[in-house]
Amino acid sequence: MAPMLDIKDLVGGYGSVQILNGASLRVDRGQIVALLGGNGTGKSTLLKATSGLLKPWSGSIAFDGERIDGMRPDAIVRRGLVQVTQGKEAFPGMTVEENLRLGAYVVRDRAKTAQALERVYSYFPILKEKRNQLSGTLSGGQLQMVCIGRGLMSSPKMIMLDEPSAALAPQIVMDIFRTIHRITRDGMTVLMVEQNVRMALLLATYGYVIKDGVIHIEGSAEKMIHDDNVRLSYLGGTVANREAQL
Amino acid sequence: MDFFIDLVIIGLSVGMVYALVALGISLIFSGLDIIHFAHGEIYMLGAFIGLMLFQKLGLPYIPTLMLAVIITGFVGVIIERVFYRRLTSAGGGYTVAGMGMVIVGFGMSIVLQNIAFLIWGPKPLPFPVPFGRPIEIGNLTLPMSYVWIVVTALALMIILNLVLRKTMIGLAIRAVAHNKDIAYLSGVNVPLMISVIFGTACALGAAAGVLIAPINYVQVQMGIGILIKAFAAAVVGGFGSLPGAVLGGLLVGVVESLGAGFISGTYKDIYAFILLIVVMMVKPSGILGVEAKVKA
Repeated sequence: MAPMLDIKDLVGGYGSVQILNGASLRVDRGQIVALLGGNGTGKSTLLKATSGLLKPWSGSIAFDGERIDGMRPDAIVRRGLVQVTQGKEAFPGMTVEENLRLGAYVVRDRAKTAQALERVYSYFPILKEKRNQLSGTLSGGQLQMVCIGRGLMSSPKMIMLDEPSAALAPQIVMDIFRTIHRITRDGMTVLMVEQNVRMALLLATYGYVIKDGVIHIEGSAEKMIHDDNVRLSYLGGTVANREAQL
Repeated sequence: MDFFIDLVIIGLSVGMVYALVALGISLIFSGLDIIHFAHGEIYMLGAFIGLMLFQKLGLPYIPTLMLAVIITGFVGVIIERVFYRRLTSAGGGYTVAGMGMVIVGFGMSIVLQNIAFLIWGPKPLPFPVPFGRPIEIGNLTLPMSYVWIVVTALALMIILNLVLRKTMIGLAIRAVAHNKDIAYLSGVNVPLMISVIFGTACALGAAAGVLIAPINYVQVQMGIGILIKAFAAAVVGGFGSLPGAVLGGLLVGVVESLGAGFISGTYKDIYAFILLIVVMMVKPSGILGVEAKVKA
């Protein structure tokens, strides 16, 4: 069966700065794939190129058997691939429910939207309690729930999460990861960018490590978690930085 | 006392016109991150198109108003798509690209004035609408043209508010105004929404032009004064805030009317700016303004 997402030799960047130097990656149906790497290695750029926010310079991206590189982001959402960005960006002037409903913008069916809303509330019961509150008043963890929930509202085939655990308390991180696990158990395919390597690999079935815009190491998550190279290449940047600071 | 109330009522109705134009400027600012310097000319264009429909086609006033609003809205959409989009889509906000947008806006304002000049000539044209007898409330007599302004402008504001609050398209517009990337990732067709926002803003400007036309003459330069006053109104209320634009428009209208009535009518245009300066000194973000919008 064709993979859900098949990225080949992706090259791209911002302005004249090239970030991705030919990254290739595939995600099979029903998998949770972790994309790991230090700061500035191209993780977020890869997600942005895949979701259409950034036009790739060359290479190909196929989703569910169809080329999507160069398409507009809303067209990609319509095809069932949704990205949840880093930084917990909800619309502060909208209520929780308005934020979520916006995620179902491509769904022009009231019954389906209501169904999706109930499903999101079942994943994140706290959001149901706060449904009429402005999202600007929520805590960091609740904002992340709103963002993931908004991503789920169009009932996509696959969701890409950019650092869902960033800047959250450990207890909240556990909650979020548990919910991501539940979501995949219900049949969702997930590509997850994470700094929290251990947690990501515990949850994932397969992992990639990106370095300097290319895939450096890949393998099953079980193997990677015990691989010293992964730890080294992941931490390499930060250790070097720390030494430079000293 | 009656004189005072008279002035306030006239100020409020003229303020409604400022508010409509200021609403457009604020909508465009929050949706496209640009300040549209040709918005006064959109207002002028709306008034001329209205005058043509009214006199040449002999349409009644309400269909004239509706049609002029729709036509000008579409003209706005075309202007934005053809001339502005390549600059705004390159992004930039307040950077060099943003500067380019300022120049293009001023250029568009001159171009539109000249087009209007070629078609309609330099003379101020009257827009006589038989509204009927003025209505009388106690000792006050209010010309029907002012009543029309208030009723129509209020209706437009209520419709705009309902659309923004209650519909999916309104939700999408608010999303685009706040963060285009996240709107995109939620599946909103952002380029289309930008057209909708710009078209709506131009439609509101045209409505203002057609509403004021029976009181003032319709002329090529009518956009210059209104732009500056609507701009003052938008800034007084809080730039980018829609309720602020309405409040600012009403305040400018009332202050101007009171100043002209009690101090002197010769310097009528000064009062709006005195108000602007005072508000800026007390609350630089405007009355309903929040802290400066952070550009991504």
